[in-house]
Amino acid sequence: MNGVVSAFWNPIVAKEYRSRMRTWRSPLAMMIYILLVAGLGFAIFSSTVSSNQFGGQPANYGQILFEWLVVFQMILLTFITPALTAGAISSERERQTIDLLFVTRIRPFSIIWGKLLSSMSFVVLLLLLSVPIFSLVFLFGGIEVDQVLYEFLITVVAALTLGVIGIAFSTWLRRTLAATVASYVGAFLLLFGTLGYGLIFPTTVDAKVTKAPAPPAITFLSPMLPLLYMANNGQLPFPYGIRDNSGFLNQGGGTVCGISPGGGKFCTSTSNGAPIAITSSGGGFTSLQTGSTGTAIPSGLFEGWQPWQATILMQLVICLVALLVSAFLLPPVRRLPWRRRRVVELEDA
Amino acid sequence: MISAEDLSKVYGQRTALDHVSFEVPEGEIFGFVGPNGAGKTTTLRILAALLEPTSGHASIDGTDVAQNPARVHTRIGYMPDFFGVYDQLTVAEYLDFYAACYRQPKQRRTKIVGELLELIGLTDRRGQLVDTLSRGLKQRLCLARALVHDPVVLLLDEPASGLDPRARVEMREILKELRGMGKTIIISSHILPELTELCTMIGIIDHGRMRATGSVQDVIRGLSAGRRLRINVVGAREPAIAILEPLESVRHVEIANGTIEADYEGDDSTAADILQALTAGGIKVAAFSQVDGGLEEAFMRATSEDV
Repeated sequence: MNGVVSAFWNPIVAKEYRSRMRTWRSPLAMMIYILLVAGLGFAIFSSTVSSNQFGGQPANYGQILFEWLVVFQMILLTFITPALTAGAISSERERQTIDLLFVTRIRPFSIIWGKLLSSMSFVVLLLLLSVPIFSLVFLFGGIEVDQVLYEFLITVVAALTLGVIGIAFSTWLRRTLAATVASYVGAFLLLFGTLGYGLIFPTTVDAKVTKAPAPPAITFLSPMLPLLYMANNGQLPFPYGIRDNSGFLNQGGGTVCGISPGGGKFCTSTSNGAPIAITSSGGGFTSLQTGSTGTAIPSGLFEGWQPWQATILMQLVICLVALLVSAFLLPPVRRLPWRRRRVVELEDA
Repeated sequence: MISAEDLSKVYGQRTALDHVSFEVPEGEIFGFVGPNGAGKTTTLRILAALLEPTSGHASIDGTDVAQNPARVHTRIGYMPDFFGVYDQLTVAEYLDFYAACYRQPKQRRTKIVGELLELIGLTDRRGQLVDTLSRGLKQRLCLARALVHDPVVLLLDEPASGLDPRARVEMREILKELRGMGKTIIISSHILPELTELCTMIGIIDHGRMRATGSVQDVIRGLSAGRRLRINVVGAREPAIAILEPLESVRHVEIANGTIEADYEGDDSTAADILQALTAGGIKVAAFSQVDGGLEEAFMRATSEDV
């Protein structure tokens, strides 16, 4: 077995699959997940149809349904993923089986990787189970296949990040309860804390520059932003992350305006309770290129990037750092890599 | 084969191991004896490269444990003092999992699992879930787990603890079989007599210090050097104590349950001299006997001295 294959398929993966799928908990979790996603889909569809009895378009139904489904799926995975991974290493310690793994030829990184792979496989299984429900949006139209694929990519990477955060806390804190609490705190900070930052410290609109503002770069850490951008064809359904001191966005009369990533201005009227998006392009700012999967971020650290690209890059960096930290913290006797290499060199000599 | 040199382990203010040294040649069975908390598990974890000593060195089969733990892990089979088992795995799957962790090829694993199940007498339970086994069977399974990669050294931490007498005998028989296979074994226990039949060498540890180490006979002889007399006298006991205490061979005198008990060093002739001294001093001796404390009591004495 070569290194690549053994990295992906080590004995821990097979053992975890067996243990996980032999309990009644897994089928129950899958059933509840599907019922929740399908239930929400049905509820959204019903309410959309009933509120748009006169003049509602099927394409709108599809888009609204899709938007709600991706957001709800992400929130569900925020609750599920830490529960799958936060006990991965700490439960081995509590069960006192971790030492038995340390004395085998499995490397600490393989232990972590095996635990992560098996947990994430379950998440992917849940996502696959939801595909038939998501495919319903195509009945109404308004959503392209590539939008769905990108939404799933964003969701998988976000779930992976939540999983790696859970593994890192599980390795560091040693107790499952503490690791679970910390993982949920980390998960909610990632999803909603970063969005909260955009509300508290938004980017200020400066009328002197010709470049459209974008929400602070850190807000793109939350998968919610690219999910919403993607589901709404490149703009958010509400103003977010931008403070307007110049009066450019102030329309008065209960109308609030925001800026889409492409530099376009759009306004929502809140006077009748239900926000309605009215989009206008340009608005005095330089518009950037528009792609089929969304519109590029107009300014800031990720200028010219698609929102999903910024999100995935930042999350993969978090994954890499958390994995390396976990691999360092896990061994019973910790040794820095360069010290370990020196020892091997001495022995070879 | 196994060497511990000046091993110390300090946790904050507490010294768990205090300059422990011993050697176990190839093919020997080393009984590591001491009360709970004496430092047995700490020593075994250092030998298994699961713990870094504060000072000192350990090596197994010529490999320094701290410098090349990966190579040491291929040479040792480690059985901790608890049995870590997984839910939802059968006995055969459990052994197959650990054999895979030791990178044994698939075809070989099937053969290994079959042989080990036969060795521990669990062939007919290969399809049973591990967490439904009794404690004794789990212990045997954990011993088998330590053997999946055919190690040359076995580090067994209290393999018989918590077992009923029958399971203890069965475990002892398996260990004898392993001894016959030429494995070098360290077995820890807090019960000395349990090991004397099985082991060729013994080390006694207490409060982190090695009190005695060597062949079984030498250690037992050393422990039994101190003996105890139980003396009943007619009338007051104080005059008898006044005669006993100045005697050179008498180490300690006390009154226990109305009887004088005197620890002395020497043989039967020394005991006769003590009796003669009492009668010569005018003491009416009603009963004079040697306390048969045996190995267990000698071990208790050896491990209860203040450090």
